[in-house]
Amino acid sequence: METSRPVVVKRMPDRMNHRQAKVFLREVQPFLLCDRPQVVFDLSQVRQLDAAGVDMLLHCMSEVMKRDGDLKLAALSPQAATVLELTRTDRLFEIYETSSDAVRSFTYFLPNAMRPTPKLTVPLSDSNSAEPAKPQGGALAA
Amino acid sequence: MDGTSSVSAGAPLATIDILGRPIAFRIAERMKRFGVDTVYMVGQVDTLKNAPAVPADVQFVAADGAPWRDCEDVFSEVAQSGADLVLVQRIGPYLELDYEDLIGLHLDRRNRVTPVCGTSGDPLGVFCISASRRNDAAFLFRHQLQESRTPCIGYTYRGYCNPLQSGADLRRLTLDALNGTAQLPPAGRQIRPGVWLGEGARIERGARVLAPAFIGAHAVVHPAAVITRFSSVEHHAEIDCGTVIEDASVLPYTYVGAGLDVAHSVVGNQRLLNLPRNVEIEIGDPKLVRTLSEHAPIRALSALASPKRLLQNVLGLRKPQPASLPAAVKAPSAALKSPASLRAAAQSGDSEFPANLMVARRYGNE
Repeated sequence: METSRPVVVKRMPDRMNHRQAKVFLREVQPFLLCDRPQVVFDLSQVRQLDAAGVDMLLHCMSEVMKRDGDLKLAALSPQAATVLELTRTDRLFEIYETSSDAVRSFTYFLPNAMRPTPKLTVPLSDSNSAEPAKPQGGALAA
Repeated sequence: MDGTSSVSAGAPLATIDILGRPIAFRIAERMKRFGVDTVYMVGQVDTLKNAPAVPADVQFVAADGAPWRDCEDVFSEVAQSGADLVLVQRIGPYLELDYEDLIGLHLDRRNRVTPVCGTSGDPLGVFCISASRRNDAAFLFRHQLQESRTPCIGYTYRGYCNPLQSGADLRRLTLDALNGTAQLPPAGRQIRPGVWLGEGARIERGARVLAPAFIGAHAVVHPAAVITRFSSVEHHAEIDCGTVIEDASVLPYTYVGAGLDVAHSVVGNQRLLNLPRNVEIEIGDPKLVRTLSEHAPIRALSALASPKRLLQNVLGLRKPQPASLPAAVKAPSAALKSPASLRAAAQSGDSEFPANLMVARRYGNE
């Protein structure tokens, strides 16, 4: 049964090139290697994302999937959304409008009575909407 | 000349190719069709000077910081050479103007200067000036075509108009030209209904071009690429394998990498302008988008092999390729490995899971 496992929300830096991708991956590595990790990347501040950044996202996704976890993207800046669309990687991720929506989506399948409030390890000041989480892209909410 | 964009590297949009021909040349050709003797182009004309197929009787005047002063000088020169009327047009907006009608109105009204206005009264940057009225012309040029010396009745233009001030306007003009709204015939031969191909353009086997679409001169579309939905690939552009160009304009000398999805955009000068999001991004990764050299030998060399690959060949560092088909099938795919750039970072943390433990994907709460 689903327990209230923590959801890690990590905000990505404004530039995500080869060097930044390495640094970022080193930072998130411990979260990716835990059991069934639940990770949300907040891309609201990303202004430049190149192939290395996309590569890093795919690598994180594969690491998380190996451990039966999930990686979701939230609050994509127009620049990040454009690059993900250009490289056709937008369809591989669940994308949400806000980090709160993405966090909430991890408990989407639970009956209402059993839905715990997820613990945010990195608190964000994003507005909490009362609407159920809806993915932006083509991916369906699991 | 006005209407610049960073996708055109700061050059006026009227000077870059749209469906195989710059708008500046199309305007000049239209003027010639209406009987204009000589056309002078003043401003940033460097790209136009070197362009192929410059229309006859077009003279370029490169402006050195004072284009309006140059315009005055050109006007005086034309007046002295015996011209009765001078047409002045700001190269920027695209209009399909009936110059004969404009001149007719100018003569009937005995105007000194006749400005062309849109239906809402906004000036469109086109004027018909009597050559004897040098002071009026000088006043007009000194006020950058914004103000006339004496009030005069304008000519109301009701035809197609595109301001051509941004990448979005460029895209809309391409779309209007391909669907026939604008009288802007693509510079190429129609190989199928709605598909135009420029001279020397190459569509490789397996690539698909769906009408309406335009492929410019010497452009290359690699296998499995798809060009569709009113897209244009301008001269010397290159679309690599598997890339989809949908409702997009690829500007001259632009390389678009393999396996990309370019939709509702204008691509050029290592930049991508996404129209629905109204965002312009700079793409520094040459694997995605880059600008090709204008010099054919350099282009040819870079197409043959990258410097890295050349070095690998010379030093014998290339991985041996499997000799037979079964060996190639058995060889592990590079795609199964983690990206090389991230391997070092990934190895810094120890995995909690033994390699022989298989993780099954679970769904829902099971």
